[in-house]
Amino acid sequence: MPEFRKDPVIGRWVIIATERARRPGTIIDPQRVDKKDSQECPFCHNQEPEIYTVPNKDPQASSPWSVKVTPSGTPLLKMSPQFKRRGHGLYDVINDYGVHEVVIETPDHIANMADLSEKQIAYVMNTYVYRFKELSQNKNFLYVIAYKNYGWAAGSRNIGHSRSQIIASSVNPLAVKEQMSRAKKYFDYHDRCLFCDLIRQEKNDRKRVVTESEHFIAITPFAPRFSFEIWILPKEHHCDFVHGVAGKELDLARILKDTLTRLKIGLADPSYNYVIQTAPFRSQERGARWPTIEEDYHWHIEVMPRLTRVAGFEKGSGFYICSIPPEHTAEFLREVELS
Amino acid sequence: MSELRRDPIIGRWAIVADKEESWGPDNYDKEVHERKHKAICQFCPGREKQTPPEVDAIRPQGSAPNKPDWIARAVSNKFPALRIEGNLDKRADGIYDVSNGVGAHEVLIETPDHDRDLADLSVDEIVNVIRLAQSRSISLAKDRRFKYIMLFKNYGQSAGTSIEHAHSQIIALPLVPRYVLEELEGSLNYFKFRGRCIYCDIIAQEQQEQERIILDNEAFISFCPYVPRYPFECWILPKEHSSDFCYLSDHDRHQLALTLQDVLKRIKTTLKDPSYNFYLHVPPVNYKESQSYHWHIEIVPQLSRVAGFEWGTGFYIVRTEPGVAAETLRNYSPE
Repeated sequence: MPEFRKDPVIGRWVIIATERARRPGTIIDPQRVDKKDSQECPFCHNQEPEIYTVPNKDPQASSPWSVKVTPSGTPLLKMSPQFKRRGHGLYDVINDYGVHEVVIETPDHIANMADLSEKQIAYVMNTYVYRFKELSQNKNFLYVIAYKNYGWAAGSRNIGHSRSQIIASSVNPLAVKEQMSRAKKYFDYHDRCLFCDLIRQEKNDRKRVVTESEHFIAITPFAPRFSFEIWILPKEHHCDFVHGVAGKELDLARILKDTLTRLKIGLADPSYNYVIQTAPFRSQERGARWPTIEEDYHWHIEVMPRLTRVAGFEKGSGFYICSIPPEHTAEFLREVELS
Repeated sequence: MSELRRDPIIGRWAIVADKEESWGPDNYDKEVHERKHKAICQFCPGREKQTPPEVDAIRPQGSAPNKPDWIARAVSNKFPALRIEGNLDKRADGIYDVSNGVGAHEVLIETPDHDRDLADLSVDEIVNVIRLAQSRSISLAKDRRFKYIMLFKNYGQSAGTSIEHAHSQIIALPLVPRYVLEELEGSLNYFKFRGRCIYCDIIAQEQQEQERIILDNEAFISFCPYVPRYPFECWILPKEHSSDFCYLSDHDRHQLALTLQDVLKRIKTTLKDPSYNFYLHVPPVNYKESQSYHWHIEIVPQLSRVAGFEWGTGFYIVRTEPGVAAETLRNYSPE
């Protein structure tokens, strides 16, 4: 029997369509495109101004940096001199005030983050921390997000060089508002963090746990949008990434690499997105309006393999149809042999 | 300079590219659609036995169900996402909520002709597809377990279908989908505040500005919405306020077929036959606030891939400004 399942964080319903169940591993992305080689790679030969770098002090190293942040080559938000709101008839408009950066995750022409070393991934996490801190200084910004598009189906240009992106914006996105407000409702009702409860239940049930490290747990969510979707949650409660990850960067890198490698080996190198979900910036004034945000929300990373296309039903309804129950995908991913 | 624009109905923000920097059709990846499964296609006439039994059809007089001389045909989905038998049986699994996947999932085969898509059908043929969709919607709405009837179409692989033969689908649901709920809530708030339908006001603003209009005929209007989610997104709305898709007059049904055909042809020609989806947004079954909601069709060509930023934020990045998109679509006249 198929099921309707409700995601407790967003309140989104998904359909677990058991009737059309497919064996894990039989869904393979039909639209992989060959990668460009290093000669044509704009990130191997990057001339954009540096915003930040993690230097490589090894004199033998081929590059003076390990991780480099530059402005996006195709930015949609720029630092206009002023933040301006206006109306256009019925519509509300804000100018393109914001920041759009690219994090080049390695000087080497390596496509998938799964193939970087744990240490290198930890540098990337440190870079996010550094940029998030910097961007939070600008009082016009409400929100910052770091995300990755890997592979054509995930919206990348398939250049074959591992990178991710950071966007800071002056409005709080709808999806973030929804998560926050549901987490707050749950907290108001139970006096406990929704995510902490979720982690407790998952650790108890075990059936959706993919892998675990000292400080983190990776699960397939109860009501996923995508087959093989994975959430990586810190076991210790913290509402934001910057403070929550402090001192645990290497452990996060370890579980992220583990997770991405399982996807790569188990599902034949699929396209995927990941997103770091963190609380909006909390300035003094805003903190006062939402006193419990630090207790309500729990930062985490969502990893979304893109094996199937989003179709008309999903686009029109906001419902997702998932053809493999997350219990099966978790089992499949647990059993992937890591080399 | 790009802009952040907010949809007045549900409050979703989109980052919309500047007019000068807008991407044209050639900036997007091109997709080739092959029709290579005609010999084994289960939707082709003569293979009626290979689909689940017909639930409804448009047939010439005297023609019997499941025989080959049909014009348009509705069958249950062979691989349904939901099951028609049983009850919801709502329950908890610890902190999670679950219920049985009860619902109907049907396929509307739009033409017996394997080689033509909806855009290639004549207006009269499209009228028949609409009649069939209306008839199925009315019939499914009578099942008291169902609260919402959703009609949608996937064309092409990037839009989520591997079946070549022209078809659309209906899913009947025991709950109202989230996007529709957001629209109902937003438009009801607006109605309470201003006493008018927000969609009627949007139509008025679009007619005044003209910039984003694709076509404007006797009964319907089509434009590229000011705050789209996807590049070259097109909406079709009845010009006169209506929350009811199921009971159109013959005249309006004909006008709708004409409008749909025209917009789909423009998309097919100017955007080089992209994959696309469309879906109908109608009110839930037995919805009481009909003054505030306006049924419509949203058509989304599948030109770019939704990426991590969109998944994480619910913010959409659109590289073609809707005024530029509408101009591209206007600059083609169907023969």
